[in-house]
Amino acid sequence: MSEQLPSPDFDAHNYARPNQNWICGHACEGNACRQGPDAKGRCRATAECKPVQKTKPGETKGRWHCTRPGGECESGPLPDGSCCRPIAKCSPVPTLRVWRGRATLAVIAASCAVLLLLLGNPPWRNNFISPGIVSDSHSGATFAARAETNHLNQNCGACHVAGDSGPNPMIHAALHADPGILDLKKLANAKPAEPTAIDESCLKCHAGRNFHQTDAPPISCSFCHAEHQGRMMAATTDASCNFCHGDAAKMAHNSVGDEVTSLKSKQSQSLLTSAPTKSEIHHFADDHPQFRFITEKLRDPDTLKFNHTLHLTGPTIPNLPGGEKLDCMFCHQPDAAGAFMKPVAFEKNCRVCHSLQFDPETPQLMLPHGNVDFVSAYLRSLPKQYLNLAATENLADANGFVEKKLAGLRSQFGTGEDLERRVFFSTATFGPEAQIGTLSGATRSLFPGCAYCHEIKTAASGLPQITKPVMPERWLVKAKFSHAKHLNIACAQCHDAVHSKDTADILLPAKETCAACHSPHGGVANTCAECHTYHQPQFVAK
Amino acid sequence: MTRFRRQFTFGSLALIAASVAALWLNGKFNALPDYAFLTGWALLAGMFVLTIYNVRKKLPFLPLGKSETWLQIHIFLGFFTTLLFLIHLNFRLPHGWFEIALAWLFVLVSGSGFVGLFFSRILPRRLATRGGEVIFEKIPALRHVLKAEAETLSLGTDAKSPVIAEFYTKRLAPFFSGPKNSWLHFVESRRPVSALLAELEDLRRFATDDERQRIERLAAIVRQKDGLDYHRALQLALKLWLFVHIPLTYGLLIFTALHIVLVFGFSGGAR
Repeated sequence: MSEQLPSPDFDAHNYARPNQNWICGHACEGNACRQGPDAKGRCRATAECKPVQKTKPGETKGRWHCTRPGGECESGPLPDGSCCRPIAKCSPVPTLRVWRGRATLAVIAASCAVLLLLLGNPPWRNNFISPGIVSDSHSGATFAARAETNHLNQNCGACHVAGDSGPNPMIHAALHADPGILDLKKLANAKPAEPTAIDESCLKCHAGRNFHQTDAPPISCSFCHAEHQGRMMAATTDASCNFCHGDAAKMAHNSVGDEVTSLKSKQSQSLLTSAPTKSEIHHFADDHPQFRFITEKLRDPDTLKFNHTLHLTGPTIPNLPGGEKLDCMFCHQPDAAGAFMKPVAFEKNCRVCHSLQFDPETPQLMLPHGNVDFVSAYLRSLPKQYLNLAATENLADANGFVEKKLAGLRSQFGTGEDLERRVFFSTATFGPEAQIGTLSGATRSLFPGCAYCHEIKTAASGLPQITKPVMPERWLVKAKFSHAKHLNIACAQCHDAVHSKDTADILLPAKETCAACHSPHGGVANTCAECHTYHQPQFVAK
Repeated sequence: MTRFRRQFTFGSLALIAASVAALWLNGKFNALPDYAFLTGWALLAGMFVLTIYNVRKKLPFLPLGKSETWLQIHIFLGFFTTLLFLIHLNFRLPHGWFEIALAWLFVLVSGSGFVGLFFSRILPRRLATRGGEVIFEKIPALRHVLKAEAETLSLGTDAKSPVIAEFYTKRLAPFFSGPKNSWLHFVESRRPVSALLAELEDLRRFATDDERQRIERLAAIVRQKDGLDYHRALQLALKLWLFVHIPLTYGLLIFTALHIVLVFGFSGGAR
């Protein structure tokens, strides 16, 4: 009880009432009235006393008497019974608590007003509640046109049911969400990447989920493609890929490796995919498997005979007609996009040196390329070819010229059949040996025989058969690559052509070569999506 | 060990343990698909407990535990809730007007709370060094008493010094007219009152004995008035931070309610 007693210096007369909402207007002068303002801030001061009426015996009206504390005043009450000494009313002052309460109410009112204003106006609402800028793919004129085609809402409602509705439908959608607002158990147990109802909106424009593997589990679009992250859709991160490839249990059931193996004998391209991925992969530089052509020591099955070392460093290789030295870029030209190299073509890249000139003395005549029958027919029409040449060059004795040429061929090769056989099957050079690909010869290298470059077989009919060279336009077909982005790197840094003497050498870089740059250490982008595409190419917007 | 120190030690250890546990759980379960929903509910629960402290203060008659204990819980939970807020944001900046506004409200409420905590730990010590306890609500009355005394000394019927009267009219009357130099008091600057006292000292050198006594008394009153102003400035700071903390708390709750409606209304489940 002693704690509740007033302190010794407590002045009951000047009690401040700090917890009340209003204080006397005279408090700042030290003259606060004892009564103080009422709860609504009104001064309760009236007069110094409240007179009472006393009626003595025999009186009918009675008299008013002063009741002022400390003694009656000199004047006494007025005839109407009111005190003659009214107290001047003050203007009570609100305490800080009142001001704080007012500030709180103002903030509440302002918050409600702002939200109602913004939510009540659809264009403002969409901008206000959007958790970030929608990508260009899902906004703007192009998207609007596509949405119209697919009979979709062109705003938030294109993806969200509650997106283009007022507050009430929003609340309704929230209350009927699955998992529900208070369904904490379901929220905690939600499975990652599981498709949700919002994926149905994606499928209105995007034709199905074409996964890179047919038996891949269904994955929510938004698991990899995060919207509201800016004008460009956020790049897919490794975390999305690691959902499967970083999970040993999931990868144990992977059948991609088997599928590729089954293709081994069908297409050379498929041989050159990455090794079967039953193991976990988290980052390219760390645990991405080595490229399969290295681990399995695969060889290029092409039958064309080509020696990169000879062509790049051989002393017998002549300069090009313009005087330039033969280099990689002469044969390997980028396509229009610059991503890949155009196929090497005989007419464009080989004939400049390998002219198919079969008669050392007559450089004007050259064998056709590309068709065995054409070559055979050409050889069998040599008298006609020489006659045409004589006519073209206006030789006086055309028949004599033809006879002389044919006699020369007969003396060198024997019969026409011998010549034809030698053209197709011989790897030996025609004419002086020194003229084959040497700098000493004034002319281009002479034709040594088809078998010099091609694999020649004899068909059942006895005719020669040239195995068609297979030169795939792309090697690692499961990955994206662009030469255009690698122009600052010398060819030889990735392709060890200088030391390759055999066509069977696959002159692709090993994983380590790529990882030298494409790694955290190298500083170049090294995410999965940098090289790989998740969806099949046909996964496009309707 | 005092009760305060015991509470502080226990609270700090609990806060550290809870923070470490929260960060560990964040690292472990961050990949859960609906993790943001779970951290959001945890954050809301923390905000709810923080908010009902104000309700507890309005219901002193209910047996809900000591207000001091509630305050300690409020402080330590405030720190922890700030960590929960960062976890809920996944330690990233928010995007979109609404989310930015919501985040700013939280930052302002929690920031004002930290400022208030700082004030409540620092300012009372400073107040104790400048005179005894002065009730904030009584400061105007005390200032009025000092002003009246100074006025009597300078302009009263028995005051016969025109020099003091002029000095009072020109220099002291504005000083006594109300609270002065609040910001300078807040930063512990005594330059204005020192200047005023120096002027009084200059006046005293050429004064008569009677004037000297009056000037010395005036100087004492000026010091008392300055002390009152000092108390008022610091006590006002102790009260004004609540003008940010409490009103914005209600704004934050309103925005939070809408946030819940939006995230569930627009989430994958609701589509």
